Amino acid sequence: MSKKITLPKIKTFDLTLTRTIPASPEEVFDGWLDPENPGTPWHGSQKLVLEPKVDSLWHFTHVFDDLVLPHYGRFTTLERGKKIQYTWMSRHTLGLESLVTVNLQKKGDDTLLTLTHANIPDDEYGRAHETGWKGLLEAFEARILQTD
Amino acid sequence: MDQLTSVLEAVAHPSRRAILDRLSKGPARVTEIAEPFDMSLNAVSKHLKILEAAGLVTREVQGREHYIEFRGEPLRLVSTWVDYYERFWTQHLERFEQHFKDKRKRKP
Repeated sequence: MSKKITLPKIKTFDLTLTRTIPASPEEVFDGWLDPENPGTPWHGSQKLVLEPKVDSLWHFTHVFDDLVLPHYGRFTTLERGKKIQYTWMSRHTLGLESLVTVNLQKKGDDTLLTLTHANIPDDEYGRAHETGWKGLLEAFEARILQTD
Repeated sequence: MDQLTSVLEAVAHPSRRAILDRLSKGPARVTEIAEPFDMSLNAVSKHLKILEAAGLVTREVQGREHYIEFRGEPLRLVSTWVDYYERFWTQHLERFEQHFKDKRKRKP
């Protein structure tokens, strides 16, 4: 009889950030996929593979404090001027496929960019707490919530 | 010095973290805070002044007694700072926005 294997459930969290970018949604779309743009994760990579097509893969490697940090993913949505979505895997996602979604909305001459990074493991790696701060923050978490 | 730097410097010292740990249980007088530590009152006062400057404690004077109370809100700054992906994307978005601001400025 085959044994059913249940993987431990990993608690995850989502992160959403917004910015108004002084450019049209089409320019922002193109800029997000341009490794020459200093605001993209692809910029300054030691090794870069980037083929912005649905179901194509991307890869970049950064070196931080002598640590090689490879990142991998797959494009899932590319709608010029509207939406960019890709999966994202790195040592911080613990083998989970996290999901990055960039929504673009015209706002006069500018673009409202909403970035959501979903399915990030909610643990020491995912949040990458610095050693030393973590215990302190945990100790005070209840107190911080009380002072809300 | 910005508040984030003040908070980080304040919590970087183990004695100040121990003082905050004590105060997280409730307000205390300076003498009560000093009691469990092998430190002079003068040294404790210096640590308290640094915590006060960072906004992590407040002082209420009642007659001759100084009561110190913990304030947790500034720790939010540290919490945000250490959240890897929030820090990662915030830095990238700031550069991304700046890139387009510079580009727009260069337009005739």
